[in-house]
Amino acid sequence: MTAPLDIRPARSRFNLQKFANSSLDALKGLVPPAVAILIFLVIWQVLTMGPDANLPTPVRTVQETWELIINPFFNYGGTDKGLFWQVWTSLQRVALGFTLAAVVGIALGILVGTSSLMYSALDPLFQILRTVPPLAWLPISLAAFQQANPSAIFVIFITAIWPIIINTTEGVRQIPQDYNNVARVLQLSKSEYFFKILFPATVPYIFTGLRIGIGLSWLAIVAAEMLIGGVGIGFFIWDAWNSSRISDIIIAILYVGIVGLLLDRLIVFIGGLVLPEEQKQ
Amino acid sequence: MQVLNSPTQTSPSYATQEPFLIFDNLSKVYPTPTGDFVVLDGIDLAINEGEFVCVIGHSGCGKSTLLDMVAGFRQPTNGEVRLQTQAIQAPGPDRMVVFQNYSLLPWLTAYENIYLGVKSVFPGKSEAIKKRIVMEHLEMVGLADVANKKPSALSGGMKQRVCIARALALRPKVLILDEPFGALDPITREELQEELLTIWRDHQITVLMITHDIDEALFLSDRVVMMTNGPAAKIGEIMLVPFARPRERARMMEDPKFYELRNEALDFLYHRHAHADD
Amino acid sequence: MPTLTFSDSAPNFLTRPLELHLHSLRTMAVFVEVDHIDRVFKLPDGGEYIALKNIDLQIHKGEFVSLVGHSGCGKSTLLNILSGLDLPSAGGIVLEGRQVTEPGPDRMVVFQNYSLLPWLTVRENIALAVNRVMKKHPQAVRDRMIDHHIEMVGLQKAADKRPGQISGGMKQRVAIARALAIRPKLLLLDEPFGALDALTRGGLQEQLMKICQENEVTCVMVTHDVDEALLLSDRIVLMTNGPEAHVGQIVDVPFPRPRERMEVVKHPNYYSLRNEIVYFLNQQKRAKLHKAKPVVAMAANGLEKVNLELGFIPLVDCAPLVVAKEKGLFEAHGLSQVTLNREPSWNAIADGVATGRLDAAMMVAGMPLGMTLGYGNQRPRPMVSALTLSRNGNAITFSKRLFDAGVRTLGDFKAAIDRRPDQVHTLAAVHPTSMHNLLLRYWLASGGIDPDRDVSVTVIPPAQMVSTLKAGTIDGYCVGEPWNARAVSEGSGVVMATDNDIWPGHLEKVLGVTEAWAEQYPKTHLALVKALLEACEYCDDRRNREEIVDLLCKPEYVGADEAHIRQGFLDPYNRGDGSQPEHVLNYIQFFTGKANYPDVSEAVWMMTQMARWGITPFPRNWLAVAERVKRADIFGQAAREMGLVDTGRDRHPIHLFDGLVFDPDEPLKYLDQFAIKRDLRIEEVPMDELTIA
Repeated sequence: MTAPLDIRPARSRFNLQKFANSSLDALKGLVPPAVAILIFLVIWQVLTMGPDANLPTPVRTVQETWELIINPFFNYGGTDKGLFWQVWTSLQRVALGFTLAAVVGIALGILVGTSSLMYSALDPLFQILRTVPPLAWLPISLAAFQQANPSAIFVIFITAIWPIIINTTEGVRQIPQDYNNVARVLQLSKSEYFFKILFPATVPYIFTGLRIGIGLSWLAIVAAEMLIGGVGIGFFIWDAWNSSRISDIIIAILYVGIVGLLLDRLIVFIGGLVLPEEQKQ
Repeated sequence: MQVLNSPTQTSPSYATQEPFLIFDNLSKVYPTPTGDFVVLDGIDLAINEGEFVCVIGHSGCGKSTLLDMVAGFRQPTNGEVRLQTQAIQAPGPDRMVVFQNYSLLPWLTAYENIYLGVKSVFPGKSEAIKKRIVMEHLEMVGLADVANKKPSALSGGMKQRVCIARALALRPKVLILDEPFGALDPITREELQEELLTIWRDHQITVLMITHDIDEALFLSDRVVMMTNGPAAKIGEIMLVPFARPRERARMMEDPKFYELRNEALDFLYHRHAHADD
Repeated sequence: MPTLTFSDSAPNFLTRPLELHLHSLRTMAVFVEVDHIDRVFKLPDGGEYIALKNIDLQIHKGEFVSLVGHSGCGKSTLLNILSGLDLPSAGGIVLEGRQVTEPGPDRMVVFQNYSLLPWLTVRENIALAVNRVMKKHPQAVRDRMIDHHIEMVGLQKAADKRPGQISGGMKQRVAIARALAIRPKLLLLDEPFGALDALTRGGLQEQLMKICQENEVTCVMVTHDVDEALLLSDRIVLMTNGPEAHVGQIVDVPFPRPRERMEVVKHPNYYSLRNEIVYFLNQQKRAKLHKAKPVVAMAANGLEKVNLELGFIPLVDCAPLVVAKEKGLFEAHGLSQVTLNREPSWNAIADGVATGRLDAAMMVAGMPLGMTLGYGNQRPRPMVSALTLSRNGNAITFSKRLFDAGVRTLGDFKAAIDRRPDQVHTLAAVHPTSMHNLLLRYWLASGGIDPDRDVSVTVIPPAQMVSTLKAGTIDGYCVGEPWNARAVSEGSGVVMATDNDIWPGHLEKVLGVTEAWAEQYPKTHLALVKALLEACEYCDDRRNREEIVDLLCKPEYVGADEAHIRQGFLDPYNRGDGSQPEHVLNYIQFFTGKANYPDVSEAVWMMTQMARWGITPFPRNWLAVAERVKRADIFGQAAREMGLVDTGRDRHPIHLFDGLVFDPDEPLKYLDQFAIKRDLRIEEVPMDELTIA
């Protein structure tokens, strides 16, 4: 990099250069993904330019959904709401179902992890249940709750809970023998052991479970909403399909992807606040 | 005992030879936001062909940086490392490195791990010759019968033997060892040291080895290069190890000179250049 | 259990006020009692693995004990049992009179992998322990305590960092601070520095040593680093390999405290202790390999056992063994598979023969007697010697420094000691029961120098004499060749006296076997004596000496510089004091003058001297003991079968250089004449009970 003639003191020049370097580095980091997106768009455009293409071109997609993009907050009543409200409703369901799953899952996980009897009794069961696809639970929950909303929340709950339980259990069982020895030598009481050793040692595993759980919840909600209808991003997509609004589907998928990523990052971010450096995974 | 900056004077058997591996006023500086960090400062050393040299010093004395520059993984800031007359600029099969943590590919057998290197370095050789090279080297380290085992089925000592075999199969001019036996238990370590000496003698290879273990350095090497503490580490002292070869551990322990050298090295490392870890 | 330790083996051997004090400290009440512990693990296949067998150990308050052994020897299991984390299958641990049944903060452990809680800062990690254990103290006191211990390990700057942000060495310092902050009665360290590189360990070891010293903590440490154990410990417990691991040997570490690494390393006993431990570990390693193929006695040629392992020390007077081997004399007498084992020290020889690793060995003259009498408070082991292998061949060498300071004679030395009473002169011999030790002490005492009070006499293996002399940690020694010649030729020593100046013709090396072995293999024993007797005759023919020098020069035998081997043996003897080198008559005598007869008079003289210095008690039944060890009957039969003279001298008076005459019939009267001596222990040695153990 050639700098222009500079007459300021050396110190500030150093800082300036550092600043220039770091912002340049940040820009450099954005170039490859930007190029990749551009190439993707070009390919999409080329493939869908033909007169008998089934899918819209990117340009047409934007043109057709311009209203949705610039105005996510409209609310015309019923299911006719902006994308923000659609996503917001789905997120509320996820928040409720996932929170329940987290609370129950962590508690159950710790219980199972600390007792080898419980472990041998329940672990096989968990291993079977965790492989059940989310939508398979929907008929059962509809039968049980008779209502769409609690059923959707239950599906979220039942989908997210298994990785949380299994990872928490694993975390408790993986507490290094050294930590337990420290506790034994210091003769820590039960509650001290729980709060000073067991829980902190398990936290990284819990967060791994939560991260997998939130991903699965988001997967499940979109699918569940398609079936139960009402407001929500899942039904929005289904509705768009029924109305042959392909461009709307495309833009909704983009929303689903971005929100899923944000949820994942959110858990990682909270984990980062809670976990010390060396326990991060 | 020999002091700083007289690297040309080496043990008698090599005195007549031309230096083989030369460190010429070598320095390594890393720029950091708070200014330059000097890792190595003015390293001058000439190693003769077939010599066994150990480098010893506290953690953070730049031993590994030094080794990386010989291997060609990093470039010096000033000066250069020359092998014969050629300045080292990139990694090459003429300088093979054996690391402490084995660095074997876990999905390949011992045989395949060695074969992989042989194939890429000697592409022109016939399949039969390549195969023979691999087997010869496995035999050299006494592992012919576990040729088809994967690293996970081998003990630490065996893995390190495979690494040495893999390195030597490429016929390097210089063998570089980075604390190769640090992770092994004392018994296996001594066995491997003895094997390494035999291999070194049979192959007539030049060895540069980094170690933390004074006894290991005295047992193996012709010269022990003792580094001062970083930052700006340099060669503090070069110790000539005069024990006759082939060496035998018990015999060396009977030699009064062993205790003199050992105490001298202890004094250097624990007294004159003691090191705090924070 | 056998305690082959230096300070134990001869209570007065290392006489320095401080060490005596240490000894009296040891007799204090036992602090931790490890009482006959077994630990058996159940195996999944229904079998059992006996990890520890009958471990019995007493630890005193303020003592630092190291457990050393190969991996898998159960040393960590033992430490876990001490801590209460594991329980013994039999036996128990008693700490200050109370049995240990569960872990507790009075026995704090420092684990190899630190065991710091990664989610707590340095301070919080220590606080967790302090707050838990010191509950009854007010918070302010606890905080002070925490600060104090952070400061003690020098981690003020890192107090608020988490373990992941600090180096391995710092982590271990936190672990040590955490352990000490709760004032444990017993600090247990499980390879505390094992995960650190060899050089980082150094600083931490010194810090731990200082902390232990200042806080008078009782410590038990598991380690496999011999240097670390020697630097830190008062005693080193050497464990045998599992299964059924037990205490193989306990080594007392006599270095004065406070210790400093370079001073410790330069202590005259440092490398002999180190080699002793390394030797033990190597033996364990060898035993492991041997377990696969146990040695069985091979009978042949009309002998009970023809595969013999013989031990020797690389000295010029090992010539008879080398000649018998190289000239085929063993085979000629039917011993078709003899292996010569080059041993690192006389202790290794004694240990090797006692444990059966060696069938027989070349021994220092007093060793069979000393072992029979149980030198150094060891269990007596009846030994037999039917052949004297050599006479003479020793010299007393003083350092060049003393010589340059004007010490030319024993009188000069006495004057030098009197001039500087504050300065401790240290002299060395190779084994408590060797003639070197007895002659050196006799010689010193004859000049009015008490070898225990005016100087310090210590034990160092022959091979380490020259380096220790050069390093200046000893001022002189009495040893066989080539070690005097080497010091002279390197200019670091001057020969003050040869044995010709003290007792010409004294016995020097003998053949030694256990009595049990001799009874089990009588024909083999006879054949061995005959082969070596023939070799001795060969050695004393000067026409053969050039050839013998060549043999000795081989690396598998003495392997020393030819010039050093020739000194006295063939060439004129150079004392290094500026005088002309001169030929010494019978410098080493292998055969001539009835050299080989196992002489009872000499045995009695040695018993008087060993008793004089407190190495062994003096047996009231001295003649019975001497005749039981010195088997003139076996020698006689061997000599007769070879057509040689089968007798030696009758019980005869012995004249030493100072004019005193020893009458073998009046040993106690002889002992009475000495002004300088230790308290005599006169005991009846019940020979009938001394049967095969």
